[in-house]
Amino acid sequence: MQKTARRTPAWLKPELLGRVFFIAFFVYLFFGFMLLPCLNTITQIFTVRTASGEIDPFAVIRFFFAGNMPKFVLNSLKLAVCLVITVNVVGVSIVLLTEYFDIKGARVLRLGYMTTMIYSGVALVTGYLFLYDSDGILTTWLANSLPSFNKNWFSGFNAVLFTMTFACTSNHMLFLRNAIRGIDYNTVEAARNMGAKPFTVLRRVVLPTLVPTLFSLTVMTFITGLCAMSAPTLLGYDSINPEIVRLAGSSVADEAFPQARAALLSIILALFTILLLSILSAYERKGHYLSVSKTKAKLVKQKITNPVANVLAHIYAYVLFVIYMTPVVMIILFAFQNYPAIRSKTLDVKNWTLINFFGTQDYEFMTTRGKLKTRTGAISGLFSNADTVGGIRLSFVMSAIAAALACVIVVVAVNYIFSHRNKKSATVLEYSLLFPWLLPTILICYSYRTFFNSESVWYVLGNNLYMRENVRFLIVMAYTVVKIPFALRMIKAAFYGIDEELEDAARNLGAKKLMTFVRVKLPIIMPSVLAVFALNFNALFTEYDMSATFHSSYGKSYAMVIQNMCAEEGRDGYNVNASGRRCASTVFIMVVSGIILYLVYGVGARDLGERLEAKERRRRRMAKIRNALPRHKKKDADKPAPGS
Amino acid sequence: MIELSNIVVKFDDFEALHHIHVKVGEGEFFTFLGPSGCGKTTTLRTITGFIEPVAGTVSMNGEDITHVPIEARNIGIVFQSYALFPTMTVYDNIAFGLKVKKLKKAEIDRKVRDIARKVDLSDEQLKKAVSQLSGGQQQRVAIARALVTEPSIICMDEPLSNLDAKLRVQLRNELKKMQREFGITTIYVTHDQEEALTLSDRIAVFNKGCIEQIGTPNEIYNHSQTEFVCNFIGDINRLGDDIVRAMRLDPAKHHFIRLERVRVNCPAHPGEVQLTGTIVSREYYGLYIKYAIEAAGQTVKVIEKNDGVNIYEPGQQVVLGLHPANVMSYDAPVKEA
Repeated sequence: MQKTARRTPAWLKPELLGRVFFIAFFVYLFFGFMLLPCLNTITQIFTVRTASGEIDPFAVIRFFFAGNMPKFVLNSLKLAVCLVITVNVVGVSIVLLTEYFDIKGARVLRLGYMTTMIYSGVALVTGYLFLYDSDGILTTWLANSLPSFNKNWFSGFNAVLFTMTFACTSNHMLFLRNAIRGIDYNTVEAARNMGAKPFTVLRRVVLPTLVPTLFSLTVMTFITGLCAMSAPTLLGYDSINPEIVRLAGSSVADEAFPQARAALLSIILALFTILLLSILSAYERKGHYLSVSKTKAKLVKQKITNPVANVLAHIYAYVLFVIYMTPVVMIILFAFQNYPAIRSKTLDVKNWTLINFFGTQDYEFMTTRGKLKTRTGAISGLFSNADTVGGIRLSFVMSAIAAALACVIVVVAVNYIFSHRNKKSATVLEYSLLFPWLLPTILICYSYRTFFNSESVWYVLGNNLYMRENVRFLIVMAYTVVKIPFALRMIKAAFYGIDEELEDAARNLGAKKLMTFVRVKLPIIMPSVLAVFALNFNALFTEYDMSATFHSSYGKSYAMVIQNMCAEEGRDGYNVNASGRRCASTVFIMVVSGIILYLVYGVGARDLGERLEAKERRRRRMAKIRNALPRHKKKDADKPAPGS
Repeated sequence: MIELSNIVVKFDDFEALHHIHVKVGEGEFFTFLGPSGCGKTTTLRTITGFIEPVAGTVSMNGEDITHVPIEARNIGIVFQSYALFPTMTVYDNIAFGLKVKKLKKAEIDRKVRDIARKVDLSDEQLKKAVSQLSGGQQQRVAIARALVTEPSIICMDEPLSNLDAKLRVQLRNELKKMQREFGITTIYVTHDQEEALTLSDRIAVFNKGCIEQIGTPNEIYNHSQTEFVCNFIGDINRLGDDIVRAMRLDPAKHHFIRLERVRVNCPAHPGEVQLTGTIVSREYYGLYIKYAIEAAGQTVKVIEKNDGVNIYEPGQQVVLGLHPANVMSYDAPVKEA
């Protein structure tokens, strides 16, 4: 030691220390928060102790085949397979109807079909429940008009399939829409010119170019179906994920080795995911149909010439529109209705209120003994209800930290990957950060929950991270780890967009590596980084699957609070307007997501030139207004506004 | 000024430059010319420091700068793509190098406006984003950005290749004018021989990682030292056996004559060999006309000024005049076994 201290030296230089810190951080992150917790889950399966206290490595597997566990796996598979069919049918339909065929009102239709982008997960499922549940609005309306109508029609498999079919088309609207807009219209014209009928063109020219995108979407939908959480939980369907959560919270006293069974189920899920993703990446590696044309012509919408087909297509388009829009419209309308209106499922303009959003009211009710009682503050708005505000605040903070953390980690890592492109260390780093992509989120969360629920994890200094408030740290870590692969793919793509000569130019003008990164590269990728931050934040802010897996009262996310609202309405005169607050919550989520998506795709996509032009337009508009003002007012207007 | 000696550059196993020697004088406009993949850009990037050679030295004013970091070399560069920073305004692009040097704000402003005026960029344009400028204006920004730090040398990597033909000619002239005004040593990379011939004081012709010839435009064009150079620069006729015999040239060598050196239907000069031929085809260029003439068992291409008097029709008989002094001869390359 002394010897080194006297020399001081090379290894104490800041760059080297920086590099050591960099490596140590990523090793810690990968082993500590990705690999070891998951390995622990695998070992759980094989270290089950029998009643006699002996370790029986195959006890769970035997139990699996003897008990009812395959039911959950089969149910999940059934859901995934059915979803692939229904989601693709609906997804392809909505994209063709809005982008390929000439349907009247396509713009409005598109907005309707895109509503799932601003509310998903629990917010969407509770929205559907609000409509279709046994005492839901539509069910009640239908039952009132059709006395023979089965009020419990919306539950189990059918309900999950129905809800998820319409909830999972967001990816189609994003990716398939882009793919179809990328088609070179000249190829369509060429086919028509050679005598092909419109339907033949669609089948032989257009659809084949969409096959790669459709394949990816199919795999993604399959995984979504397998890993479904909020819909099966809320609508009551025995699939893998809700069972894992149930088992994780169960105890040995109630049933045979619940934790090991949960571990087995999550590993089965992981194996399916890995298998599917390998198929996908093998397929992607085979290469795609690339457009070979240099001068692409913009797609012109195709008129459906057969009048009958045209009418049918229009009817189909608008039926889908109604299905997409009804929950949204109803939720928005009922978010502004008071609780009696919601209970009686009657819209009344006179009952228009903001109580579901702001403020509190007392609730008077008659007890069973005939006494009139008042429950203070039993009716409360979303922003005045301690529980809800607590959920919003916690989700906001945790998601913001996790989204930011994921971005920072990935930017640092990708910068390293790009500047060491041909080195093994870069490849290792990239693959280790993509690792969580292979794992279902539930496996990660379940692994955290079981692995860190002990005082013997040395590298977190023996702290029990599942205990009390510590769980929030664990949730943030899970959020971060789960979002890293997406951030990596997006930010890496942004780095590819940087012209290498820019870096050379900056170096040539005298800038060192760090300065080149901060002044030249970072500003270029910043819009993408902010977009990734916003999209991750958006997803995490309303996520349910992960926090539900942790199932801790200290880590009650906003989505968990919303889910609770479904159960607690009006019990003993508490939370009288839970349904209204639920609607208001969904409206709030739609507004937040809408703003975020607008910022990402609307404002964020502008380059410096477009921003300067917009600024110039604003300036001109202001000048015009100023000129239009009467003279005495003009003087005031000329003064600079405070803070400008 | 700047000297490359014995430079070898390798990319993994591939040797991109084989023992390059170049010496560029103060204030000279020096061009690296060659087909794509010949090593000209690699040589340029070795000078700027983006590539470190495995052997040889780069020296500037007698000082070895082979291992000096890029940012410390004070050699400006204009990239093929211009490499203007898209997130900065024109002003910030030009000021970048000065800000890196931590100059005072007032001084930066003075220098930026000064150079902007010289390259004809208005104050209005300085406030714009680079994406709002035209190709020609972007090129001027790139040049201003490279010049504002007062480098001792400026390197240009095919700076005109992104522009359309008309603008290319216009900017070529502007570039030469600017170089003359600034008097800065310029190293220019291009694959366009016309650009090289019109702009340069001297040209180095590259081929497969080697330099074939260094010389003035006239030397390169009229006294090409190698068969590659004479073929690469301008259009040329290779003389067939019959003509070689008629002109009494060494049959063991390859002989070439430029298109404009073959005279059609002109009175014979002393020493000139005359051949009769038939016009096979005619390409009309406006300024001149290119004929393909069948003579002595081969097709001879000829360029005639479009003077409006002598226009020949296909099938017409003509007399060709070739002077041995205009013939460039090279030893036949040794065939590899």
